[in-house]
Order: sequence, then structure tokens, then C-alpha cells
Amino acid sequence: MTQIEFHDVSFVHQNGARALDGVSLSIEKDELVGVVGENGAGKTTLVRHINGLLKPATGDVRVGGVDTRDVSVAQLARSVGIAFQNPDHQLFSESVEREITFALRNFGFEESLIEKRLTWALQFFGLEPYRKSSPLILSGGEKKRLTMASILAWDPEIVVLDEPTVGQDALQKEKLVEIIKELHSSGKTIIVVSHDVEFLWSIQPRVLVMRQGRILDDGACSRVMLERDLLEGARVSQPQLVTIYNELRRKPERPFLDVLEARSWVTSGVRP
Amino acid sequence: MYWLASGLLYRRVISPFHKLDPRVKLLISMEFFVLALVVSSVVAVSLIIVAIISVAAFARSLKRVGRTLVFSMVFAALILVFNLAFGLGVLKAVTFALRFIAIIGSTSIFFVTTSPDELEQIMKWMKIPRDIVFAFVTAVRFIPVVMLDAFQIMDAQKSRGLELERGGLFTRVRNLVPVLVPLVVNSVIRSGELAEAMESRGYGSTPRPTSLYGMALRWYDWLVLIVSFGLFVLALYIYHSYGLAY
Amino acid sequence: MIADDPAQPLVHVEGLSFRYLEAERWALSEIDLEIRQGEIVVLAGQSGCGKSTLLRSINGLIPHLYPGEYRGRIVVDGKVVSETSMGALSQLVGFLFQNPENQIFMFSVERDVAFGLENLAIARGEMRRRVDEAMSLLGIEPLALRAPHELSDGQKQRVALAGIMAMRPKLIILDEPTSLLDPKTASDLVSLVHRLNREVGITFIIVEHRLELLTPIADRIVVMDGGKKVMDGKPEEVLADPRSSGFGISVPPVFRLYSQLKGDGVRLEKAPLTPEEMAEEVNAL
Repeated sequence: MTQIEFHDVSFVHQNGARALDGVSLSIEKDELVGVVGENGAGKTTLVRHINGLLKPATGDVRVGGVDTRDVSVAQLARSVGIAFQNPDHQLFSESVEREITFALRNFGFEESLIEKRLTWALQFFGLEPYRKSSPLILSGGEKKRLTMASILAWDPEIVVLDEPTVGQDALQKEKLVEIIKELHSSGKTIIVVSHDVEFLWSIQPRVLVMRQGRILDDGACSRVMLERDLLEGARVSQPQLVTIYNELRRKPERPFLDVLEARSWVTSGVRP
Repeated sequence: MYWLASGLLYRRVISPFHKLDPRVKLLISMEFFVLALVVSSVVAVSLIIVAIISVAAFARSLKRVGRTLVFSMVFAALILVFNLAFGLGVLKAVTFALRFIAIIGSTSIFFVTTSPDELEQIMKWMKIPRDIVFAFVTAVRFIPVVMLDAFQIMDAQKSRGLELERGGLFTRVRNLVPVLVPLVVNSVIRSGELAEAMESRGYGSTPRPTSLYGMALRWYDWLVLIVSFGLFVLALYIYHSYGLAY
Repeated sequence: MIADDPAQPLVHVEGLSFRYLEAERWALSEIDLEIRQGEIVVLAGQSGCGKSTLLRSINGLIPHLYPGEYRGRIVVDGKVVSETSMGALSQLVGFLFQNPENQIFMFSVERDVAFGLENLAIARGEMRRRVDEAMSLLGIEPLALRAPHELSDGQKQRVALAGIMAMRPKLIILDEPTSLLDPKTASDLVSLVHRLNREVGITFIIVEHRLELLTPIADRIVVMDGGKKVMDGKPEEVLADPRSSGFGISVPPVFRLYSQLKGDGVRLEKAPLTPEEMAEEVNAL
């Protein structure tokens, strides 16, 4: 089933800048999608159309078959959860648990279900020790986890993460990879907007490359990330392992998915 | 909201009026302001409004000043009705209403044609303490940033099911909490970061900082100053001597 | 005051320990560190290791803005930081903060570049000269009269850097300068840092998580953990050392591969700093 469809969507900002220019795409259920492109390419604008925060100027956007102009943001939000880049634009409650249950109360969940979802979210994101703490005293990484927890709490089928790795250190990023993989295997459609190509390489999503409001390329991570000239034109960097692969004279059958693969390939080549 | 605010915000326009020393612009605005307060006849006040509009046109800011005037007409209408209700007589009521428009117009002229930098210069010239001037300057500089923050915060909370357009007065006010708290918190964080940056660039290391820009009255400033003051005095004299009945 | 003697380090941190007021643990513990003029030093470590605290101790925000328990001392260009005013320190050490937005105060670019000079009561003629010089160096003259909200993040950082350069510091500290930038703007910033280092001789201390951006230009990487300095050496040494990932830093794939190949006994000519170099080495095998 096509869960998200964009049909020739264009969108123009108040100041006249064209943010989306004839974008068409379809995302099926259970897909894992990464969106790359420089700042201003239209990634965030694209994503804001999925839950109806923005409505297209021309063309239409359908989520689960429903045109986003026919329903309110609150209704779409039931199935589309977006975790925005800046936790400080979102956290406001007296406690972590009230922050997580905020959306649940907005959506009218009943008490027993709220309690269940809260317990799950606290446990899944490792926030139990902070249950009664104020969100404002958490560290940067913890705040990021809290925003994700407060979005996942209502179990949306579609999850959008806007630059989830910004400001995260290595350990936090590893944890994030695990979280995304687990959510994906539990049957969610996940869209990750990210500059961090190394991070994307480790989750191997379908990749959309955006530039000036258009989609330049759309395909498997292991193919799209190899297109050096295209990526350079879009001002997107290439994962290091891909650059290494591209420059090798004697090529392995496919690019290295991680350092271990690269290592075994090199050592097997050296001592056959 | 934006429409209203733009009537009072400065915009970079090139006009002979804009080029004047900000003190002269302030003087002209004040002259209109005082005239509006002093005269009490419909014809006189209308003439003042016409004069204000002409100056706005001269400053190529007719649209902006015009917007403020149009907006002030709403309140002016209220004043009219209010005064009529108190039995003040049509002529007086209309005068008060028009006077309100003239006062708003006179201040609008100043703010629309004076950049925040010039406002800062004037405040320093008035010997307002440096910290207060700096706080004002920084506040104005961050207005667009705070506005953008507010929109992003609203987007984030709407995406969590917050409905800002629904419900009665009490619900709507309560629904503003998830928007206001992050705004305030962000402002506090921002202040902390600004403080670090200020200290790191030596803010407060001398009691008398210098300035890249300065104000200097040039010949046309003096010319306009003298002419406008002359007209101002003349207007007062004519009004006083001939005491227009209505 | 010690004259410009290349033998003397520009920054000498001696046994520095610091605990914020009302904090339980020590943010910094007996830090000893030397930085020579002209070096580009990268400071790395996981969140909470004390990097930001160390940076702020070098430019004087600690202890002047953030009081606490302070032991040991830092000497920058012959001046003891805790005994020198922020005004004097700001002419020695510039600090570029993480958020491009919250370090621009004025409505116009050139006014902001002049901000520090105004604070130091520099005469207008000299100020104008230095402002124009700094804007030219950073390539932002066309933006001179623009308002900050009209600028991109990369441009805002250049404006802030111009404001810092106008004060003619010997050392500039950058606190996670690329975390809010996209990769290409980030690499433009890195090129800019490299140019300022080569052409003007500015010493740099940079805190950064994305080490792969800086390894091509860094002279040294210093790793911190739990308030202590735990590693200090050339990038290829530090990153190829298996201990480094244990300290929570993002070791770029090139280095992880290199250290694993070394462990396997595969002989590479030299330690590669970029993926292109790594491919070259492998091709040469």
C-alpha cells in the first residue's frame, strides 16, 4: 500500500522563495527512507507536508490515501510523528512523564493505555531514572531521546526524524542506529532527514537526494551514495567507505557496508 | 499581525527624508505630535493629517504610514462613538477621533524612517545608560529570530496534536502554554549565550565605548530643521490668532 | 611580558582543576597542556568530559563569568588568565561559539564586526580601518550593511569571525563550530580556518565531534575524559590508537580501518588522513 504520495508538489514560502518544485514521490509502508541535501534544499519543507503543517501550492500530498488538505494537522499527526531537530522548541512540561504523555492526552487516549505507552517509552529510551525530573535539566543527548520518546509514545505508523544526530557523540549515535533499526523491524515507516552520511550509511535506507526543491535522485543507499558528481552537485558529502571503494583499482563486488567488511576484503586480498 | 507590525517597523528605503539626521526626524515628528495635541478644530487637525501624509509620500513610505493610519481609524471610530455617547457634540467628537489618527501618524513617521542604528544613536545622545541602550538594540535585533522560533515551536506542538484554533477562551489560553514555555526558555538560554559572547568581546571593559557610526548635522539638516521649526511656529501662530471655529 | 618567543608555548595550562559553584564533581582535574603558536589543536571527547569548561578557562570566561573553585593556572601569551581582565584577554583570545545566531548583536554586519572595538574604545578612524580589513579577510564586504536575519548560517559565522579578527587575537577558540552546519558549509569553514592559520598565523583550538573534517588540518588531537586529559598526539597516532573509541569519540571509518589493518599486520606506507589516501595505500599493496 502506498502510504505517502506526493504528486507534482510545489510550495513557495512567504518571502517568495521556491521551496519545492514539482516533487513527486511515493513511499510504501515499512520503508526506511533517508533524505539528504544542503540546507535550503527543501528537506524540512518536504517533511512538513507529510503531516499537513504545510499544504502544497500546486499538486497534492496523500497520506494513507487521504489528501492532506482535507484533514487537520492534529488528525494527520495521529499517524505521522515528526521529531524536529531542536528539542528546545518542544520541551515544556514539569516532568518527563508529562512531556511524554502530552500528545497522548491531546489525542484522547484513555488512562490505562496512556500508562502503558508511557512505561514503554520510558523503558525503550532509557529514561526511567528521569521520570519525574524536569525536561529542562537533561543533557542534550537525553533531551533528544525525550523528544523521540514523546513522539513514539503514541505509536504513529510513520515516523519522521529531522536531523537526529546533530550534537550527538559517537555512543549516542550508535544507540540511535539501534533504535531506528528496531523501530523499522517493528513495522514502521521511517524517514530520516540527515546531513550525517556516515550515519545513513550504517542504516542503509532508500535515499532521496534533494537540491533546490527538487529530487535529484532516488534509490538504494548503496547505489545513490556512489554517484560522486551528483552528490557534489547537491553539496552532499560521501561516506568515507564509499570514497575508498570508488578509488580502488581492484574493486570488490559491492561497496563496503562497514569497516569490518572493508578490513576482511583488504586482508583477504593481501594474503589470499 | 505582520501587516500591522509592518506599519511601525523600519525598512531600508532611500529618500531625502531618510537621509536626515535622526534628531531632525524626531523633531519633525514631535512638531506634528504637539500640533495635533494643541489644535482643536476639525479643519486644523485634518490639515495636520494631510501634512503628515505629504511627508510620508516625500519619504517614499506612504504605504507603511498609510497602513498605520488605516489601522488607527478603527480606534478613532471607537473614540468617536464613545465621545458621541457621552454627548460631546459631533464636531468635538470628530476632532478627538482625528487627533488620535494624527498622533499615531506622527509617531509612525519617525519609526518608519529611522533605522534601529539611528534609534540607538538618539538614545545615546539622550544620555540613556549604555546597558539599557544595548538591551534595546539586542532585543530589536532578535525580533525576527524570536518570531521564527515561535513558528517552529508552534509547528512542533501542532505535530503533537495541540490544536491552537479550537476551543473557548480558557482552552485557547491554556493551549498557549506549550508554545510560551519553550519561547521563554529559549530566550533565557539565548541570554546566557549572548552574555558569554559579549564578555568574550570585551563588553564593559571601558566606561566610555566608542562608536563606528556617529551623528552629524549637515547643512540640509540645519535647513530642514530651521524651516520645519519656522513652519511649526507659524502654524501655531496662525491657529492662535485666527482660532478656526471648526 | 614574555616577547614572541617561538620556544615558549602560547598557552600553558598548569595543573588546572575547576569545579563550578554548587557542583559536586570537578569539571576539570589537574589538566596540563601546552599549545604552541601556529598550531591547530582539536579537542575531543564525549559529552560532559570537560571540553567546554577547558575552552572557557582559556579565554577567561572561567573564572570571570563563571566563578567556582579554581586551582592551578593558565598562562596565555605571558598573562595569567585568572588575573587578567576580559577586556585584555579578548585581544589575545577570540571565541567562536556554537550557535551562529547568538553571537551577533547588531542590526548590521559591519556594526557587529566593530562591536569588540567599540567595547575597547578604539578611535573611530582606526576602528573603520580594522573593520574593513577584517571584512575583507573573511570575504564579507558585500554583506556590510545587511541585517543578520538575512544571512545564512555560514555567513553568520564569517561575520562573527570577522568581529573576532578585528580584535587581532593570537589564538581563536572554536566551540563545536560545525554542529549546526551542513557538511559543505562545514568544510568551507575548515578551509577558512586553515587559511587564517597559514596566512595570518592564528593559533586554533577547536572542539569538534566530526573529526573527519578536521584531521586533514589538525596538528594535534587532545582527548579528554571525565575532566582529565587522556590522550595527546598527532591525529594519526590518536585516532589509530584502539583506546580512542573507548573515550566515546567518533573515530572516522578511515582510521578505524587503518588501526584494524595494522592489527592484522597489513603494512601501509603511512597513516592515511583521508579516504583518498587510504585507497592509494591499498592500491599500492
